[in-house]
Amino acid sequence: MSAAPNSNANAVKAGQRWKLSLDSWAVVVALLAALLVRAGIFKHIPW
Amino acid sequence: MADVLTVPQVQPVQPALRYLRVIPGVLLLFAIGYAGKLLEQNVGGYAKSHHWTFPNIEYVLWAIVLGLLISNTAGVPEIFRSGVATYEFWLKAGIVLLGSRFLLGDILKLGGVSLVLVAIEITGSIAFMTFLGRAFKLKPKLTSLLAVGSAVCGVSAIIATKGAIEADDEESSFSIAAILALGAFALFTFPVIGHFLHLSDKAYGLWAGLGVDNTAEATAAGALYSDAAGKLAVLVKSTRNAMIGFVVLAYAIYWASKGKAQVVGNKPAFLWQKFPKFVLGFLLISVLATYGFFSKDQVGALANLSRWAFLLTFAGVGLRTNFQEMRKQGLRPFAVGAIGEVVIAGFTLGLVYGAGKIFGW
Repeated sequence: MSAAPNSNANAVKAGQRWKLSLDSWAVVVALLAALLVRAGIFKHIPW
Repeated sequence: MADVLTVPQVQPVQPALRYLRVIPGVLLLFAIGYAGKLLEQNVGGYAKSHHWTFPNIEYVLWAIVLGLLISNTAGVPEIFRSGVATYEFWLKAGIVLLGSRFLLGDILKLGGVSLVLVAIEITGSIAFMTFLGRAFKLKPKLTSLLAVGSAVCGVSAIIATKGAIEADDEESSFSIAAILALGAFALFTFPVIGHFLHLSDKAYGLWAGLGVDNTAEATAAGALYSDAAGKLAVLVKSTRNAMIGFVVLAYAIYWASKGKAQVVGNKPAFLWQKFPKFVLGFLLISVLATYGFFSKDQVGALANLSRWAFLLTFAGVGLRTNFQEMRKQGLRPFAVGAIGEVVIAGFTLGLVYGAGKIFGW
């Protein structure tokens, strides 16, 4: 029974290692939006 | 044992719930920002049609004022809070997208000037805030947090430094409250002073980027003056933000040498961890725009996307500013912060005037 919490802790550690900061998420989302605009999926963004 | 077994069963649900929980608050940000945009378009026209004299108030100010009204009267209900907190995310995404409106040459030219001014501003601000903290007999770590908050980038710098120098929660909440209150004050006073002194867009943008602490408030204070001033304020503020890692590392080394914080082992990793990644995103989009990766229409679309992201940010700035909560933190950090900020605002204005004389703005 003790193996389950350990493997779970390892999974959490691995998850934290790959967890992006808010900063990085903002960059990823903005770059993705820019690529969608470049690909012509969003042709016109009104203001 | 039952407790141990139940935790993994609950965990998979949490991330999904976390994302769903932000939806009401994001919708509130959008509603307030959009209401600000509608007010900008309609109030001026209505006043004109009725022959009233009414100043042209931009959506930036409407969104902030609407947010302030809600936050300081009815308050922000719990259901909206996690979504309202995403305004930092929209701010950073907006700055990255704003990179499409800068040519790399402009960034290198303006960035070079602003880098020199930022270095002087950071050194001067840290020295003065440290002197002020000692004169007012504040706790040394509280003084460090206030110095970093006013010299580099407000709340983010305080949070980054808190972990590195092992300051306690009370010290960081004191500093954050002072920096937020003074940021709200700067938001309304900087544009008035700028107009009073007839500052050019360039001079004002530089001043807002150098003198206003929080990135959201600096962006809003710039946009309140003009679009061009807003763009420059973001560029200068991002240059300041890029310095955060070096300043926090210096403080961490200082406190570790006194045996009051952990020694920093891997310094390059520490710098990378603290470095604001949105500055890299901003530069990347600017490089792509400079080398023709986007057409003219696509640059226009990206600029509009950036405006939408800022719209949510400005609504969030108003919603998260609660004067009653700030009053609870006590007057002492405000006194030190206020004296420091007034002196830093005057000092940075002098820097901008000096740079204007040298570069002929």
